[in-house]
Amino acid sequence: MAHQAHAYHMVDPSPWPLTGAVSALLMTSGLAIWMHFHSTTLMSLGLVLLLLTMYQWWRDIIREGTFQGHHTPPVQKGLRYGMILFITSEVFFFLGFFWAFYHSSLAPTPELGGCWPPTGITTLNPFEVPLLNTAVLLASGVTVTWAHHSIMEGQRKQALQSLALTILLGFYFTALQAMEYYEAPFTIADGVYGSTFFVATGFHGLHVIIGSTFLTVCLLRQMLHHFTSEHHFGFEAAAWYWHFVDVVWLFLYISIYWWGS
Amino acid sequence: MAEDIKAKLDQYRTAPFDARFPNQNQTRNCWSNYLDYHRCQKALNAKGVDTTPCEWYRRVYKSLCPIGWIEKWDGQRDDGSFPGKI
Repeated sequence: MAHQAHAYHMVDPSPWPLTGAVSALLMTSGLAIWMHFHSTTLMSLGLVLLLLTMYQWWRDIIREGTFQGHHTPPVQKGLRYGMILFITSEVFFFLGFFWAFYHSSLAPTPELGGCWPPTGITTLNPFEVPLLNTAVLLASGVTVTWAHHSIMEGQRKQALQSLALTILLGFYFTALQAMEYYEAPFTIADGVYGSTFFVATGFHGLHVIIGSTFLTVCLLRQMLHHFTSEHHFGFEAAAWYWHFVDVVWLFLYISIYWWGS
Repeated sequence: MAEDIKAKLDQYRTAPFDARFPNQNQTRNCWSNYLDYHRCQKALNAKGVDTTPCEWYRRVYKSLCPIGWIEKWDGQRDDGSFPGKI
């Protein structure tokens, strides 16, 4: 019986990287087909394949880590580095949209009336729903920290409650933003104001949804006793991601909603 | 005061250096003077006073601005869609 003489995880062959790559190809070419030939078939197929890939790949990671014990300390360290690097790349992603916003708003062109907000744009009052949204996300940052401490202290019921509350707050934010989008007096087509506003806040909203999903998976795993008080990296990764989403919102609020009004 | 303005206008050749707009991109210079001329016209006409001082701004924007921009902005002012504050 051969055993490895090291603590690292030599992963078994897996089809999910291939299916992931194929789904990326289908989604991108599908997007082009949709734009030229009006058919969404290819893109939808790619999307379905993506969802299946994500579900099965991450399911396999949970099996390898939680059930088969492959996530030794050095392996966990690698996963930590991975999550940090991923979040860093997302920071740069948002940095681009903030750059676009400041480029257009610091030196408003004659087409906009030489002013920001541009002529004809009625901005949202930053002290109404946007302020509530800020409070909601900050509160969810508190509840997710509460959940973390509950897990570390072995307090099972509290962990479930605080994690569930965090997810509810995330849904509340999403619902409020959806309502704001519906009721807004301007659209994405309203000049560079509309573009910067909806692209930046839109991608943020997408990340809130992704973060809420990640936290929901953690809630299910906590219910199924996957986490121990010493080892719960999946939860930590979700919490890091959630804090990142919160911080992005704070920058959005200060820059676009408050300064930009 | 009015004599100085008339003297300046007689001596006018082209837009002089304006330290508020020191760089190569002079868009803001054109825009600013276009706005200032029309604001000056509006303000002095409202008071019923001679609008000769406004001529300076007109000379400067005529020197600096692309003709297409002037035509576009004049058209926008006519149909009420000019984005600048006059």
